[in-house]
Amino acid sequence: MTHSEMSRAKRHLETTAKMKEMLPRFFMRMMERRFSNEPLAWCMVGVPPELLKAFDLLFEWPENFGTMCASRLVAPRFIEVAEGDGYSPELCSYVTNTMGYCKLFKEKGEAPEESPLPGGMGTPAMLLGSGFICEPRWKWFQSVATRFFDVPVYSSDPLAPPWDIDPTDPRIEEHYLTLLREDLAGQIEFLEKQTGKNLDIDALREIMALSHQALAYWRDTLALRKAIPSPMGSTDYFHAIIPQMYLVGDQEAVDFYREMYEEVKDRVARGIGVVEEEKYRLIWFGLPPWFNMGIFNYLESLGAVFAYESTYNVGDYFEVDLSDPLEAMVRRTWQRALKMHEFGAEAMPELCNPAVFGGFVGSSLLEELTRDFSLTGAVMHLTRSCRAVSFGEVHTRNRFAKIGLPSLIFESDMADPRLWSDAQIKTRLHAFLETMDKAQKGGK
Amino acid sequence: MAAEKTLNLKKPRATNLNEEAIRRIKAETGKPVIGYLCCFAPPEIISAAGAIPFRITGLPGDDNSAADAYTEPYGCTYVRNILARAARGEYDFIDGLVISHSCDMVQRLYGIWTYYHPLPYSYLFNVPHQVSLQAQRFYRRELDFFRESLEKFTGQVVTSEAVAVEIDLSNQNRALVRKLYELRKEKQPGISGSEMFNLLMAGGTLPAAAFQAKLKEALSKAEAAKAQEPAKPRILVWGSIMDDTALFRMIEEAGAVVVADDTCIGFRVWEKDVPQSVDPYDGLTEHYFVNFQCPRTDRGPGSKRFDYLVERAREYKANGVIGYVISFCDPHKFDYPDLRDYLKKEGLPMLLIDDNYSFEPAGAIETRLQAFIEMLG
Ligand code: SF4
Ligand code: SF4
Repeated sequence: MTHSEMSRAKRHLETTAKMKEMLPRFFMRMMERRFSNEPLAWCMVGVPPELLKAFDLLFEWPENFGTMCASRLVAPRFIEVAEGDGYSPELCSYVTNTMGYCKLFKEKGEAPEESPLPGGMGTPAMLLGSGFICEPRWKWFQSVATRFFDVPVYSSDPLAPPWDIDPTDPRIEEHYLTLLREDLAGQIEFLEKQTGKNLDIDALREIMALSHQALAYWRDTLALRKAIPSPMGSTDYFHAIIPQMYLVGDQEAVDFYREMYEEVKDRVARGIGVVEEEKYRLIWFGLPPWFNMGIFNYLESLGAVFAYESTYNVGDYFEVDLSDPLEAMVRRTWQRALKMHEFGAEAMPELCNPAVFGGFVGSSLLEELTRDFSLTGAVMHLTRSCRAVSFGEVHTRNRFAKIGLPSLIFESDMADPRLWSDAQIKTRLHAFLETMDKAQKGGK
Repeated sequence: MAAEKTLNLKKPRATNLNEEAIRRIKAETGKPVIGYLCCFAPPEIISAAGAIPFRITGLPGDDNSAADAYTEPYGCTYVRNILARAARGEYDFIDGLVISHSCDMVQRLYGIWTYYHPLPYSYLFNVPHQVSLQAQRFYRRELDFFRESLEKFTGQVVTSEAVAVEIDLSNQNRALVRKLYELRKEKQPGISGSEMFNLLMAGGTLPAAAFQAKLKEALSKAEAAKAQEPAKPRILVWGSIMDDTALFRMIEEAGAVVVADDTCIGFRVWEKDVPQSVDPYDGLTEHYFVNFQCPRTDRGPGSKRFDYLVERAREYKANGVIGYVISFCDPHKFDYPDLRDYLKKEGLPMLLIDDNYSFEPAGAIETRLQAFIEMLG
């Protein structure tokens, strides 16, 4: 790859453009608090942000930092430092990005100058991990605390039932719910100890209520993308997940997602699409190449729009009873597990806690998505360093073949641009569009 | 090149021998064979249910292309090999399959295998990643679900007494394995690393009594062995699964002796007895979960998690550690930098062999082994 082959994303919505002001405002507020030495937690996706908010804790997401390092093309620098330290290039590039960053941070005593955020990820006072989704997560914070920051770690372990077990069997349900409840209790105990504060249940309830309002708008926005032409594409989608990580539980997030919903609804009403002539409607699987989000615009220039992305769909909204917010949190995790169980790798390998990967004979999710979003094809990004999200794509491709929907798997990575070969990938994308042309004309 | 090949993947291979043996045992006993990978789901319960537990292994270096129809190229090559063999019907002697959620790869193997090639019986044994009290309680409950599923399949009620009997039998073998390992602490061990490894491979296949006879025979042979040569550098082997003697033989050819190990099919399974508790399932929880040293289990941050390994290296007077990692093996590859640094601090040099489950190119691996062993000598 050369850097000139990488292009930044162009977004289409006015609401996401507003994030340009909203996010820096948020980061400044965080920065001020960091400078006054408030404890900072590094967290993994899977740790409920609502809980962090209820403790009024400062937090940072190394995963998200990885995406930022990738989009500014500084990830290779950090990854190479980690590789020099013995980390294999096969390992998750978010993790190796963190490891290289931490090494430089420790050597310099401050954030390396390449860091995307002023002050980088700061100095953690604690690490909150989650085994949700993948195995590297178990090793990530373990090694951060072993090699760089000797701080307390709590990793939660939300196991989910495998595909061939009936999760509605009350005994099975209790088996898993017990673990989820005990795990959450452990997480809270840890946070209470580290912050010296007791969990304020009422505050948590309010935060959960706001968070669910925001997620409901998000869900409804995504459903609007069934419209032809699709009013919203992937560059907006992948950008708009950031407030879910940092601002969920704030009124600001509710306002943001409501505005987005209204804007997208208006676009539908006025028939405004992402591209003028929508020729192909696609579904995206896998993590995006954060260093080259312009690839989505490139496809748009050829008339191809993504109407659905399976990745980061974890923010789905579920009706839960908030009278007991802790039980609501457990139930939310469980309902997600049930949804994964129902659909799982059939359409969304990445939505699966690895424990649920499986066959799902009889699941009709792919058929439903194809019909409801009027899909003409599927594009899957096989990320070499993240098998958790991409392992299962061949299976999904097999399932699509049965439905008769053309699909393409192409290889690269989410954060490491060294794995991007521009000419080859574009050739394959072009060939794929031709395949869809033929399929649409009734050929095979 | 031809010479390299013979050293590298020499026949007969333990996997082939085991598979021949299990076919024979199945024909003789008429019992169903339950294949397993990783032993978080205790084989003792399988035996107590009237079935034969069989540890599934692969054939490193074999053609894995049959796996391409179901899986991505980026995945543990050992798992891809097992899947390719399953796709070709090479495990047709298996009536059932139990896979533990040990690492993500093995666990996904379960989904793909059972979807594309369903078996009369299959069970995914879910295992928490930590050994907290809540995790232990989950594991303990999982044992019950596993037992029930076996009972349903074999039609035989699994009594606690039967489980206790199986534990007792396997513990007898553990005592014999420990005796053999004791001999490896001597200046000139009476049993080589590859001989020991082949024995333990058989331990995943043979019924307890037959394995016991084999162990006893090996023990008397090892006790009688008189060492002729001068003492050699002593190696501890750590890493991803190994189901072929190739690396052990290469190390031996390079002039060292393997005295201890920390890999899946190694001392880890036999090191300690399963505690004989009032409720046998408590003993199984302690043995196969709480005390079972596998890097997939999170034992918290810090280097203390490797103390058991340093202690083992000291006990067996190892001069160095040779690590073996398979492509895309997250649990081991993530641990390597922390482990290497800790061993260095403890005065133990480490060499890492990164392999795609083929032991090729053998020449390059041998050169690195020789250089390392010379340095130790
Ligand atoms: S899901 Fe993939 S990208 Fe995320 S932490 Fe795991 S391996 Fe890395
Ligand atoms: S070699 Fe590594 S990735 Fe493969 S099955 Fe073993 S632990 Fe899992």
